[in-house]
Amino acid sequence: MDVIDCIAQMPLPTGIGLRARHLDEMAACAPRVGFLEIHAENYLGGGPALRKVERLRADHAMSVHGVGLSLGSADGIDTRHLDRVAALVGHLQPRFVSEHLAWSVVGGAYLNDLLPMPYTEESLAVVARNIDRLQTALKRPVMIENPSSYVAFVHTTMAEPEFLAALVARTGCRLLCDVNNIFVSGSNVGFDPVAYLDALPAAAIGEIHLAGHARNDADGETILIDDHGSRVADPVWSLYRHAVARIGMRPTLIEWDTDVPALEVLLEEAARADREAGAVAAGRAA
Amino acid sequence: MSALSLADLQQAFRAHLLGEEQAALVAVAVGDRIPASARLRVYRHHVFTSLTAALGVTFSTVRGAVGDDFFAGMARAFIAQSPPAGPVLSEYGAGFAAFIERWPPAETLPYLADVARLDWALNLAYAAPDMPGLTAERLAAVPSEQLGMLKLGPRPGVALIRSAYPIDRIWALNHSGDVDTVALDAGGVCLLVFPRTDDAAFASLDPGAAALVAALEAGDTLGAAVEQAMAAEPDLDVGAALGRLLALGALTDPGA
Repeated sequence: MDVIDCIAQMPLPTGIGLRARHLDEMAACAPRVGFLEIHAENYLGGGPALRKVERLRADHAMSVHGVGLSLGSADGIDTRHLDRVAALVGHLQPRFVSEHLAWSVVGGAYLNDLLPMPYTEESLAVVARNIDRLQTALKRPVMIENPSSYVAFVHTTMAEPEFLAALVARTGCRLLCDVNNIFVSGSNVGFDPVAYLDALPAAAIGEIHLAGHARNDADGETILIDDHGSRVADPVWSLYRHAVARIGMRPTLIEWDTDVPALEVLLEEAARADREAGAVAAGRAA
Repeated sequence: MSALSLADLQQAFRAHLLGEEQAALVAVAVGDRIPASARLRVYRHHVFTSLTAALGVTFSTVRGAVGDDFFAGMARAFIAQSPPAGPVLSEYGAGFAAFIERWPPAETLPYLADVARLDWALNLAYAAPDMPGLTAERLAAVPSEQLGMLKLGPRPGVALIRSAYPIDRIWALNHSGDVDTVALDAGGVCLLVFPRTDDAAFASLDPGAAALVAALEAGDTLGAAVEQAMAAEPDLDVGAALGRLLALGALTDPGA
């Protein structure tokens, strides 16, 4: 295990996704929180918000979570954007850096979503090449997050955990395990979330994400939407307990992006994650 | 069924999201209890609603002026025609004002493109680097015989927005609460948009001060800019106009 792995797997209280409406309150009240995760793309334009994050950086462990590098693009990744993300990471020196197994850019257009791809040898080569470029630019390994899916492709030849494990083997990247995404995708495209979790390479997982989801209607059938707009759902807590039981405690993050509530609600969810993980870990050790 | 290459699948996905249903994409998407087209609709819905929300933040005065429904229709047409070129959403919308000017349903709202220009200028000013502008003390230290030859451009983030409509009052109607009606025939304005430490703001300029900024922006020396300002407004108090620009931190410090 190298140094980065040791740091990534040190016990750390649960963190929260830092959102614009909480910037001033975080600075004024300095609540105890494990770490703060920002979306890289929200701070690349500069301005007062970035200066506030720079000040919070002095008191908090940080995580930079990219949402726009489009690691699944057959076109390759946008060099200018890669340079900007690398500059932000170099500047903030966060403890964690992560991105998604997804794509959003084609033909120079940025389609603002984490879009799905077939899991094939061709896709594996594309994503591995793009992760190599990212890790080379950042001079550090990154964590790759499993996406929430609404559709699968008929020509997929690998299950998602197998695809993620192959990326770890090829690029030395780590994994960000989004437990809510596993639950949402399992329900939408039809797989067993527990079997999925059990198939992930546990040692590669450096961070866990938790968030709420919504239930929508699609032509009379229920489809789960990963909207990060509510508290973590009970079955997702259950899956989180299973994850901790299997892989041990990992730095965990509460995400909330739609109808962002008061900061204290995020802190309550983070405290619950600490309690849930602590109880499982105590049982595991006993 | 024939498998698409990843590049072809992504091209088809883009066309599907921004426009017409792509049979080749639907054919490779798994449709079981939920049809493939309904599954793909989730992504299309998210792309349009999230980008509309991003434009609504940047162009908050436009959105307030026309209401959410009209704004969403206008944004949807713009997104389909000009999707973002990059993932930094605060940088999306450079072409929105020009689009509004040509979009037929907005023809009856001739002030709307100028309101969009004001929103965009405020957005750029907000993102400008936090650097001090030229101060009155620094300018006073310049030997008087050199003043006329100085080149004092506007600092990054500063912009001059002219309109034949009272867009300052349209902005205030939507943001400040101090204004509850706007007479569209009240006359035009010239607004100086500038960054502040924690946000961005604008101030109304008289014709002489506006001519002064426009000339400095064009690269004229201070002496030439003052001549143009005096031509635009013969009884201009040049010292007061320059003092106001310095107080707003609107000019670059050529020695900094």
